[in-house]
Amino acid sequence: MKRFLAALVLLLPAIARAEITIEGRVALPKTHTAPVVNKRYEVVTKGGVVAISPPLAVVYLEGNFPRPATPPTAQLPQKDLAFVPSLLPIQVGTRVEFPNRDDVYHNIFSYSAPKRFDLGRYRADERPVPSEVFDVPGLVTLRCDIHEHMRGIILVLETPYFVVTDPDGNFRLSGLPAGRYRLKAWLSSKTTLDQPVELKADSALHVDFP
Amino acid sequence: MIAVPESKKSGVSRFRTKLLVAMMLVVSAITALALYLADHYLAAAAEQDLRREFQGEITALQNVQDLRHAALVELCRALVRRPRIHAALEDDALDLLYPSAKDELRDIMANDAEPGPAAYALHAEFYRFLDRAGAVIVGPNVNDVGRLRPEEESQLALAALPERQQLGYLVRHADGGGERLSEFIAMPIVSSETGEVIAAIVVGFKSAIFGDARGGAGIKRGLLLDGRLHLDAFAEAERAALAAEVMRAVAAAQGAPSSFGREIAGAPRLLFYKRLNPGSRFPPAFEVCVYPLAELRERQWHVRWQVLSAGGLLLLGGLAASNYLSTRLSRPVEKLAVDSAENLAQRVRAEAALELTSEELQRAARFSADASHQLKTPVTVLRAGLEELLAEQNLTAEEGNAISALIHQTYRLSGVIEDLLLLSRMDAGRLEIEFGAVNLTHLIEAAIDDLGAQPDAIELAVETDFPADLHVAGEKRYISLILQNLLENARKYNRPDGRVRIAAREAGGEILLTIGNTGRPIPPAAQARVFERFHRGEIGENVPGYGLGLNLARELARLHRGDLRLVRSADDWTEFEVRFRVAQPAVADLGSLS
Repeated sequence: MKRFLAALVLLLPAIARAEITIEGRVALPKTHTAPVVNKRYEVVTKGGVVAISPPLAVVYLEGNFPRPATPPTAQLPQKDLAFVPSLLPIQVGTRVEFPNRDDVYHNIFSYSAPKRFDLGRYRADERPVPSEVFDVPGLVTLRCDIHEHMRGIILVLETPYFVVTDPDGNFRLSGLPAGRYRLKAWLSSKTTLDQPVELKADSALHVDFP
Repeated sequence: MIAVPESKKSGVSRFRTKLLVAMMLVVSAITALALYLADHYLAAAAEQDLRREFQGEITALQNVQDLRHAALVELCRALVRRPRIHAALEDDALDLLYPSAKDELRDIMANDAEPGPAAYALHAEFYRFLDRAGAVIVGPNVNDVGRLRPEEESQLALAALPERQQLGYLVRHADGGGERLSEFIAMPIVSSETGEVIAAIVVGFKSAIFGDARGGAGIKRGLLLDGRLHLDAFAEAERAALAAEVMRAVAAAQGAPSSFGREIAGAPRLLFYKRLNPGSRFPPAFEVCVYPLAELRERQWHVRWQVLSAGGLLLLGGLAASNYLSTRLSRPVEKLAVDSAENLAQRVRAEAALELTSEELQRAARFSADASHQLKTPVTVLRAGLEELLAEQNLTAEEGNAISALIHQTYRLSGVIEDLLLLSRMDAGRLEIEFGAVNLTHLIEAAIDDLGAQPDAIELAVETDFPADLHVAGEKRYISLILQNLLENARKYNRPDGRVRIAAREAGGEILLTIGNTGRPIPPAAQARVFERFHRGEIGENVPGYGLGLNLARELARLHRGDLRLVRSADDWTEFEVRFRVAQPAVADLGSLS
């Protein structure tokens, strides 16, 4: 009965928000890097500010949303000695798996305050796939103890409504709940833009960050 | 062969001695010079060798040290790349810095459980992190990071983080007293993302320089830090002197490595210093190597003795050789001395003979002059007496004739005396011609007049052939005398109804005067001797004369730089030729005016 109720609670907003979307564009910082095919996104830290290069933004709806009853899972594989993707937004409480898709050992660890962990050395055939649950919101920098250049970012958010922009800064959020919220665009560990939004049923909102 | 006089012999032996002494002196000087140069060269070479040896050892030690440093630096470089250290610094997790480092440095930090030199080879003694400002980040557990006294720890700090690794030295004081040396490397930690220096790690190692027995061959190695020399082998005072010496050299050479010899604390030493951490931001540290030169001095003395004994032998040989040589060389000189003695004797004799001849000649001439002079007076007196006698009224014609003949003889006598006087003056070289222009034409005319005025005049035909105003260079009276003598002869040796021919002409700067006469020619055998004094031709038995005329005429002609010769004497014709020099025109004019 309880499970049913829970399912209902989950389903109800889904039905209600099916029609609510936000589209828009985040003005990403200009970069001088020449466009390259098969771009790799890297985590860069400059003056203690962590961002992605070439720039990407995470757009999310901030609000007081309940935590999911069953922790969602996400995957952040290491492929070709890099985290793919290098920027992973998750909801608080998500279990992230770190599968090794290289032929060499990796040793993923983080010294970031929201989540300190060390997965130790493991190979591709490691089972179960090493994973961690991120239950404190914030920015987690991922490193590999073996490959010093490897960096990844996990952005732990207190919302299930988030999306990563495309390289041009375009985004689309759908299935949003109605109500008054703040729409935020994370650009770097230092810069997060936000705008108030009022979501109404069956509405498609267009929001641009400056 | 002329006997060499005793003085010559002693002179030759003196020469030999002098030669010997000179050669010995030269040999000694050369030997001394050679000894000096050899000693100098060998000493320099020995020092050079030692220096090279010293440098070689130092270089070897340096190479080991450089390798070790390179290894340590590489160790540190690997350390600062460790992701955990980066993570701790970049992801704001300083609390995890030292724990992470402890893991990373587990293999590097010295393990007290296994003491011994091997433990120190590449093992760290301590490590510390420096923050962005260069200050030491204090670790949580002193035992993990290596214990340091606070004043020691403060020496690890820097005013600012370095761009590249810095080498520093630290003298550590052990608890039980005594010192030991640590070298430490401050390695900047560069953010792999931004390339900026975000921190530094300082890793300290036990230094191999200090108190290490490896410096063989008497080399003592120590460290000069902050003006203090840390070298156990020397006493405090010696160390201070060495330190002062090195500091002075460092200041002079502006830190370039160098080696030099010095007298330190009474003992000669070879010093070498080199900055261990050139360009480092930590205080400069110098490695100082000291090498005792006592062994070198000993070696030099040994060599010097060898050189000296060799020189002594050389000198002896040289002296023997010079003795032999001087004997050999003086032999030809001896011979030369003998020869020169002979030559000298010959020359002396010749000179004596010459002088005698000259004296005799002079005496004869003088006698001649004196005699002539002495004779002139009595003849004059005699003539005067005879003339007085002739002036008597009561003389018979016979008596008168006799007296006249006597008077005539006195004139002849006077003539002879005059001629002798003149000849003797010429012989003595005391007759000098006063050259002037003489009108020869006038003289010839006058002489012809005289010829006609002779008392026993024979009928002679006189032919003349000469131009007017012929001027010759000479003195009138002597030229006149020549003419008189020749004409006299032409008259005397003529035949009755004979003729005399007088001709004169100018030819090639000379005036040729020829006087020819008829009469019996001079026999060919006598022709060569007509000019000899007191010679009289065979035909002259009945002819008055005394054999001086031609001689006198020729002598006078020659004094006039001309000559007199017999041209021909045959077939009733005898001809003489006199050559005079033509007088210079200017002088001639004057002569004609006078």
